[in-house]
This record gives sequence, structure tokens and C-alpha cells, in this order.
Amino acid sequence: MTTISESAAPDIVRQPSNLTLFFRYLRRNKGLAIGVLILVALTLFTVIGLFVVNPKHAYPLSAALKQPPSLKYPFGTDFFGRNLLVAMVIGMWQTALIGLLAGGIGTAIGVLLGFTSAYFGGWIDATIRTVCQILTPIPVLLIQVVVAGSLDKRDVTILTMSVIVAMLAWMGPTLVVRAQVMTMKERQFVSVAKLSGVSDMGIIFKEILPNLLPFIAASFVGQVFGAVFASFYLAVLGLGPLREPLLGNLIWAAQNQGAFFNGWWWWPLIPSFAMILILGALALVNMGLDELANPRVRRTE
Amino acid sequence: MNFRVIAKRLLFFVLVVWAASTIVFFVPRLSTRNAIRERFGELARTGGFSPGDIEKLIASMNQQFGLDKPLLDQYWQYLNNIIHLDFGYSLSKYPTTVTEVIAQSLPWTIGLLVVTTVLSFVIGTILGAISAWPKAPAWLRGIATPFILLTGVPPVIMGILLVFFIGFRLQWLPLGGAYSPGLVPGWNWTFFFDLMQHQILPALSLILGSVGGWVLSMRGMGVTIQGEDYVNYAEHKGLSGLTIFRDYYLRNALLPQVTGFALALGTVVTSAVVVEGLFGLPGIGTALNLAIRANDFPVIYGIVIFITLAIALLMLILEFVYPLLDPRIRDS
Amino acid sequence: MKNLKLAAAALVAVAAFAAPAVGYAQDAVAATDIVPATPLAEVPRNATVQLGWGVSGGSSIGTTNPWVLPGYTHQEGNNLMWEPLMYFGIYKNEYIPWLADSMEYTDDTFTGLEIKLNKDAKWSDGTPVTSKDVVYTFEGQIKYETLPYHVQFADQVDSVTAKDDLTVEVKFKAPAPRFKFEVLTEKFDTGIPIVNAAYLSAQADPTKAPGRDEIPHSGPFDIKAWNVNQKIFDLRPDWWAVAAGRVTEPAVKRVVIVNILNQPIDTVAQRLVNNEFDSAVDMRAQIIQNILQQNPEIQSWTGTESPYGYLDWWPNSLWMNDALEPYSDPNVRKAVSLAIDRDAINELLYEGAKIATIYPFPLYPNLQAFADSDAVKAEQAKYEPGKYDLDESAKLMEGAGWTKNGDGLWEKDGHTFDATIQAFESIHGDIAPVLAEMLRQAGFDSNVNFGTDAYQNMVDGKAGFYLFGHGASLFDPFEALNLFHGKYSQAIGSSAGNNRFSRYKNPEYDALLDGIQSLSSDDPKFQEGAAKALGIYWRDTIDVPIIQWLHRIAYNNHYWKNWPSSTNQAQGENGAFWAHTGMLVITGLQPSGAQ
Repeated sequence: MTTISESAAPDIVRQPSNLTLFFRYLRRNKGLAIGVLILVALTLFTVIGLFVVNPKHAYPLSAALKQPPSLKYPFGTDFFGRNLLVAMVIGMWQTALIGLLAGGIGTAIGVLLGFTSAYFGGWIDATIRTVCQILTPIPVLLIQVVVAGSLDKRDVTILTMSVIVAMLAWMGPTLVVRAQVMTMKERQFVSVAKLSGVSDMGIIFKEILPNLLPFIAASFVGQVFGAVFASFYLAVLGLGPLREPLLGNLIWAAQNQGAFFNGWWWWPLIPSFAMILILGALALVNMGLDELANPRVRRTE
Repeated sequence: MNFRVIAKRLLFFVLVVWAASTIVFFVPRLSTRNAIRERFGELARTGGFSPGDIEKLIASMNQQFGLDKPLLDQYWQYLNNIIHLDFGYSLSKYPTTVTEVIAQSLPWTIGLLVVTTVLSFVIGTILGAISAWPKAPAWLRGIATPFILLTGVPPVIMGILLVFFIGFRLQWLPLGGAYSPGLVPGWNWTFFFDLMQHQILPALSLILGSVGGWVLSMRGMGVTIQGEDYVNYAEHKGLSGLTIFRDYYLRNALLPQVTGFALALGTVVTSAVVVEGLFGLPGIGTALNLAIRANDFPVIYGIVIFITLAIALLMLILEFVYPLLDPRIRDS
Repeated sequence: MKNLKLAAAALVAVAAFAAPAVGYAQDAVAATDIVPATPLAEVPRNATVQLGWGVSGGSSIGTTNPWVLPGYTHQEGNNLMWEPLMYFGIYKNEYIPWLADSMEYTDDTFTGLEIKLNKDAKWSDGTPVTSKDVVYTFEGQIKYETLPYHVQFADQVDSVTAKDDLTVEVKFKAPAPRFKFEVLTEKFDTGIPIVNAAYLSAQADPTKAPGRDEIPHSGPFDIKAWNVNQKIFDLRPDWWAVAAGRVTEPAVKRVVIVNILNQPIDTVAQRLVNNEFDSAVDMRAQIIQNILQQNPEIQSWTGTESPYGYLDWWPNSLWMNDALEPYSDPNVRKAVSLAIDRDAINELLYEGAKIATIYPFPLYPNLQAFADSDAVKAEQAKYEPGKYDLDESAKLMEGAGWTKNGDGLWEKDGHTFDATIQAFESIHGDIAPVLAEMLRQAGFDSNVNFGTDAYQNMVDGKAGFYLFGHGASLFDPFEALNLFHGKYSQAIGSSAGNNRFSRYKNPEYDALLDGIQSLSSDDPKFQEGAAKALGIYWRDTIDVPIIQWLHRIAYNNHYWKNWPSSTNQAQGENGAFWAHTGMLVITGLQPSGAQ
């Protein structure tokens, strides 16, 4: 026979803090860890850089021309006299801006539409869903190239590039959010909330949205990845805002001036390497978050 | 496969093409640029063409191309033409027709893309499946890792690096063009080998960056399936590892991959635009690039619609093929 | 029923799609790939010239008829098929008679021209080139509006008659002393070829028939194969010039023009260094310098010395719309000119070579003489066109009512000074950003527009500067000065024809030009008037001259030698294989003996 202890307070089970859980997860999901690490490093580089450097040096005629990397110019200078270190700092900042802006717009539209579609159902749902499905097979990057190519050069700025890039990117998040909200709509906690008299808006914000956050986060990162990739692509074709030191612009200019052949290898290689880091990190984080959002895919410890 | 489903799919196909056509029609026209004027400007600047009254010239060409009518009229005419697959004349390459421009460039792209997509799909899928299969030996699963690391590299950077290291420095492979100067395309071995030699670097630029993607998506699917009941059941039944791999695992994971494949075609074509430019391959990507730079919109429409048509058609075909792969859908 | 409706809609859509597509009638001779019917003859590499070339918008494949625009271009080897009445050797300052033995004005009024044809010239189908062909060529230019010299012919030519098989007489409506040089002689990219009357007059519309490999032509090469990748031309064994003993049999048996599309320039350079190309498009100084270093068999026009190129006929200026505010104030224009540091440009971009200029014409021998004349030097001293002085620039701007705002940019009525430079990426990629920065440092709100709308903006007279050339004078300064004649300047908002972007209007200037128009170039009165006009050009800063234009072309001597250069003048033509005179260059090449 078991004797029931007379002591009043049961043992308190200490839960590990959220942060600890996060780090433990990172240890398992190495891809996500590496991705986050790289992104943090790049962000530090950019943020510290922005405080330290003179932004004017990212533009032509501000430094000695065509200098290879040295103590004075750690990343060298290009044909036009940009200090490449400064250009990288400013360029990465601008790339991040485009990514966040376009990613934000795309995700916001996606959440809004997906939500509306799933929550209200009926013909609204049918319309939004059909429109998304119809637009999906269209080669979006090509359309973006056509749009960017049609614009007056002076209209192509960081802002307009973000808009162009976000223009046809919202279909994915819309469908994802819609699918998730649809499953949640039927779940018990929503019915319970309805029964206890919580208003529609209340349900949305207090019950559904918090559960959607992992998916929204994953979508957002995916959108940022897509936006950075698209803006890089447009810039490499020479369709970006040419004066700005966007990484894609630097590579395009380098190709134009025959950088490799002329022996200025640092000019296209350094932005290329940075681009590889950025896109690779984003891809890893993207995949990691996908795993996070879809627990079945999570590897066991 | 009932009639209603078929009809729905066909309607979907039509809508996709219509949407793409409309978007691509209005965008270049919203700009104030005039392709004919720019072409004559180019001629004037480079070719000693000195038209005294360029206005009259442009007006007569505008009339010929129907560009002087109101926008909506042009739109209906345009839709009508598309249904008859008549894209008219190229503005800058007059009197070459758009269909001709596409016909001239397409062969050079198709070979490259087919080889590239199929190879990366096959390699990536197999590697991905293997790397997620716990029964496979560790070294086999490790092969996929370098490819995953390369996923972040856009084909254009891959191309630049390949050209620089292999083309310039090592000089192992030719640096550009679809085939060597002086050869005439023909169905013979000499030409074929020369052609293949010139496709290696471009194909590698496209493949190396995309294999990783397939690996991961396949692995993702694989992991999902591993947890499925029927796999457990098959294991308990004592089926050999290879049988399970092939009959249960691969076939089920394949489905979403196949859809992804059709959509990926769109991405690959877009990558081709830059890769072709890098290697001087005269395919569809280059034709589109040149057309955009000259704002030659008949050619732009022609190419974008053509590509959308191809993708939508492929998806349509795949939708009919699905039931063959997955009995669950067949019976529903 | 819903199902039926859906089904019906889908069916209709499919039916419409499946409707026969390619129903429109195709001409028997369409602009399509040229594929040789029989396999081509084997020609060894050392009898072939391989050239790398790219055409920006793409040319029309299969179009070999010079009358089909805009698809035809002479630059991709089509110049090897067609010949003019005469060529001009710019560096020797001499005419090179070709299909015509002579072209002489009948008297000092310059209203009549007599052309005597070469009796040996033949078309590729064996028939002789006769006055009928010349008359047909000229009359076509008068009649068809889409032909390149239509306006010159329609405005100036009164009649064309064939006096006999070998003589043609042209009568002009007014004195036309420059017609012979400007229109009837081929040099650089200007001048007209003579076309075959029999073939073209048999076509339904001679401005639409592509020509392909059927059209009879008088030049030495035949088009054999043509697709998006390359063009292959083979030498005709029956070229009239060889049979007539005028030239020795060319050593080049085959010309392959490889389309480099938009390949990056360093790959093209590497292909040159690898001896895959014997010559290619012109390139910028840095790249040429590196090419010369990497492959000692490659030479430029000036050997291995700077500036590596020959003077082209297209000196560039920063044009602007002189009829538009704020560019309409000559003081403002002068302020802009004072902001340009030409010495810095020479240092930064050209390794010190004296490329920056103050003239709107290239300094070819005759024009150099003009520039060195006392009258011109006096005007130059008076107006100091090349001066660089930021303080004086600031003073002029302030005097015109501009003040510097917080960003250091000139501002008036809340607007900054729009100094966007419209330019062409492929040729101005290095200079335009430098100019933009210079202007910015002087307070003008400047950046660069490399879009393909750049040319249209120039034509429309939009705000900003236009980096463009003066493709006018080759021999005497009249044509360049004539670019600014008031009769061509139209009101703002219309398009300025014929690359006359300045829209400058000044009766004093017009009167000067009208006075010298009918004079010949060596008349001292002409020299005097022209100098005065140039002075006004400088005084009013009609545009801001920036650089001479150089064509830096690499010539690979591995397989072929005897390329034109500053030391090898041949017939005085320039070294561009794509110019009309390219035919003379190619047929003059000699083998170097490589295998």
C-alpha cells in the first residue's frame, strides 16, 4: 500500500525558460543555428559599420581608384572610386531594407487575405483562393524584370524596388495562412471561446493569431529570402537603382568594366561572397523555421 | 476522372494564361517609352542612319503595328491575336516575326534546361531520399551536405565563379557561345560534341545551386513519410529495406516533388536569362533580355506568354498523370 | 445546370486555342535563319577571319536588303556584300573610287553632278552594274520614306537621269556642295550602297523583301549561313574587282561573325586573348591595355601605346535643351561648363592621354588645320571654353538666382537643378558616373540614366543633360555647326529630328551659316565665317564638349596581319570592320603564317 504523504506542497516542477528551450532546439537543428549565427554576424557588421563609416565613401570618386585590399582599404576600391568596405556596409543595409520592406508587405498582404479568406469563407474564400492559384504558375521573376525594365530609370529607387519585388509574392503566404486558419477554425479552443461569448475580434487576436505566429514567422523569412533574391537578380541585370551600392549593382558594374579580366578580382568576388552568405543564411533559417512550424518534420533528440 | 473535373482544370489553364497575358500587356505600355523610336535612335546613333524627319517615320511604323489605336482596342486585338498564336512582328528586328524570334532561340534553351532540370531533379531527389533514410550508411547520407551548402548561391554567381576559375584560369572549357565559330549546326557527332562542350559550364551553374533545394524538399518529405503508419507496417512485415525505399517511400514522396518540378521550370527559365547572358548562349533568356532592353514589347509578350503557356500546360498534364502515381486520388 | 455551363466554357476556350494558329500567309522569302542547302566547303582556320560582334536590339536574321529598316544593319558583315559609288579614306583625306570612276560637279554653282561608272563592276549574278541601278537606287531614296537618306534626297535632288549605260546626271534644287561627300560616299557608317534594280523592282515591296541569300549584290562575300549564334560569309570566286585587276585576290576566304550578345566584356576579351577572335567590338582603355599585355600578338591602332585607338567621328558633349528653363540661360550653361575638370578626366580615365575636348567635331587632318587657324585660336582665347573654375561657376549660378541648400546643391523656387545625365551604358559606362560626381560636387543634382529611354528623353528635350556625340563633320566644320541652326530647332515638347538636341535659336548665328553654306571648304570666306560661328558656339556654350571619341579595337595578329593602324595607313580607312569601309579592311588582310 502506498502511503500518501502528508506534506502539503507538491514538488514544484521547474520548467526550463523559453530561451533555454530555444537554445536546446538550436543544438538539434544545426541548420537553423548556423543560419541564425551568420545573420547575426552580418547584422553586427552592418550596424557597427553604419556607426563607424562615412556613407559618402560608398559613392563614386570618393577614394583612390582600383586599389586592391590593403590596410587602408580593407576591401579595396573599385573602378569608380568607391571604398568597397563602406559600399558593403551601406549595400547590405539597403538589401536588408528591401528584404524587410518587401517581405513585410508580402507577409502582411498574405496574412490579411489568408485570414479574410478562411474566416469568412463562402465566395470570398473561393475568389481569393482561385486568384492565388491562378497567379502561382506565372513566372514572377520574369514579370518583375519586365516591370523594372519598363520604368524610367529615375523611378527605380530602393522603395520602388521593394514594391516591385513584393508585387507578385503574396500568394504563398496567403494560401499558407488560409490553410492554417481553416484548421484552427474548427478546433475546440475556438468553439469554446465562442461559447463563452468572446467576440469575433477577440477570438482572432487572442486565440488564433498567437497560434499562427510560427507560420507567419516562417512565411516572413521565406518572403525576405525571396525579396532579397529578386532584388539581387534585378540589380545584377542592371535594372536596379544604379548609383546605390547594392551588392547586385556592384557585381553588375564589375562585369561591365571587365573586372576579372583587368585583375580587379576583389570587386566582384567580395559582394558575391557576401551575397552567398546572406542568401545561404536566409535559406537555412527558412528551412529551419519550416521544420519548427511542422513538428512532424522535427528530428527527435 | 469525370467531365466536370476535366473542364475545371481546362478552365484553370485558360485563366492562368489570360492573367499572365494581361499583366504582361499593360506593364510595358504604361511606360512612356516607344520601342520604335528607340530602335531608330539606336540606328541613328550607331549606323549613320540620318532620318531627317523621324516623326513621320515613327508615325508610319506606329500605324503599321497598330500602336496608334487606343489602349483598350489594342488589348482586344492582342487577346484575339494570342488565341490565334499570332504575336506579330518584332519592333526592333522587323521584318522578323515574334514567332520566328522564339523559334530561333528556343532550341538553344531547351537542350540546356532539360538537361539541367532533369539532372538536378534526379540527383537531388535520390540524394535527398537517401540522406533522410536512417538505414542508409552515414557516408552515403553525407554526400548531400555540400550541395545543401551551395543552395544559397544564385546561378549567376555560380556562373561568374565557374567562368573565372575554370574558364579563365584553368582554360579547361570554352568561354562562350553555343558552339565553336565556323561550325554549321547539323545532326552529326562533331557538332554534337562541340555543342555539349559549350553547355557544360552553363549547366553546372544552374545545377550546382539547385540540387540542394531538391535534396532538402525530398528529405523533408522523406522524414514526414518515415513516420507514416504504412512504412512502420512494411518494416514489421519484414520487407527488405530496398523494397520499402522504392515502393513505399519513394513513390509517396515523389508526388509533391513532381508538382514542385513544374513550378521549378518557371524559376529555371528565369535563371536562364542571366546564365545565358553570362555565357553568350542565344536562347530564350537572351532574346527576352535584349527585348526588354529595347522595349520590344511584342517579343516580350510572346516570350513571357509562351513560357507561362508551357508551365501551365505542364501542370495540366501532370494533373492528369497524378492519379496514375497515387491511387488515393484516383479513387476520390 | 452549373456543370454544363462550366463544361461549355471550358470547351469553347480549348477550341479557340486549338484553332489553326499559323494561318497567316508567309512570304516565299521570309526573314528566317539561313541554313546552307549543301555542306559548306572546308576552310582552314588560317583562311578564316573570326570576329566578335553584338548588336544591341538584335538584327533581323535573314535580312540582307539594305532597304529594309529597321531590321537591316550593315555592321554585321552585310558591309561585305554591298558597295558604294566611292569610299573615303579619312586619314589620307582622299576619295577611293569604286563603283564610280568619278563624280564631278558640273560647275561652280554645285547644282549638277555627273557620275561616271566603272565599266568592270558586276553583280553576283553576272550582270553588269549600270546607270539603271544607280538611278533606281536614287529614285528609291526619293520615293520611300523609310529609307535612311530619304529626306536628303527628297529635299535636295531635283532629278536623276541615265545619260548612257555608264553615266548618270543628278540635278539639285539648290547648291549642294556637300552632297557628294555626305551622301554618295561611304565612310564610317554613312553613305549609301548601290542596289540591284532588276531584283528589287521585281519585289512586291522592295522595303520589305528581306533578300536572304538570293539578292544580287556586288560585294566580295556571299552569306552562307546565319542564325542567332553566327553569320558565315564565304568569298565569291567571281568578284569583279579581282577579275578587273583592281585588287589582288583576298586571302580571307571565310568570315565568321560570332554574336557575343550580352556576354560580359571580360569574357569577350579572354576569347580574343585565346585567339578565338581575330578582332571584336571596341572596348574601353583598361581592358585593351590588359589584352595587349596578356597576348603580345594583339595590337591596337596605336600599337601598344596609349590611347590604343583611333579618333572616331563622334565627339561627345553634354547637350541640353537650350529652349528649356533653366538651361536657356547662357550663364547657367557656362557655369556647368566651368564645373567640368577636363584634366581630371584625362588623368582618371585615359591615363593622361589628351582625350577631353572643346570642339564639336573630331580633329581629323582638315579639321585640325581649321582648329589651329589663327581665327579660331583668337575666338578660343576670347571665350576660354575649356576652363575649370568652381568659384566662377558658383558666381554665375548665384547671379542667375540660385542658392545652395543644406545638401550643398543649387536650389531655386524649391527645386534643385536637375542635372540627370541621359547616357548609354555600353559606351558611357565609365565616363557618365564620373561626370555625374563632378557636377554633384559643383552643386548640380546629378545622377545617370542608362535606361533605353535615354535616347527618347534627348529627342523629347526633357530636363537634364544628354551625353551624346556630334556625328556630323568629317572634313569641314559646316555640318557640325549646322547642327545648331535655328531652322531645325523646334519648340519644346516636340521631337528634334536628326539628333539636333540643342534647339538653339539665334538669328545672328543662322545668318552666318546661311552665308557660308554654298561656299566650298577651301574658300577663305568660308573659313572666316566658320570661325566666327564656332566663336558663338563657345560664347553661348550651346553644349558642353567633353571628350573626343576613340574606337579602341583589338587586332589579333596571330592569324592575320596588315590591319590598319596609325603606322599602316593602307587606303586611309579606319580599322573598324563593321563600318562601311570594313570591306576594304577585310579584303586587305594578309595571312601571318600560323597554322
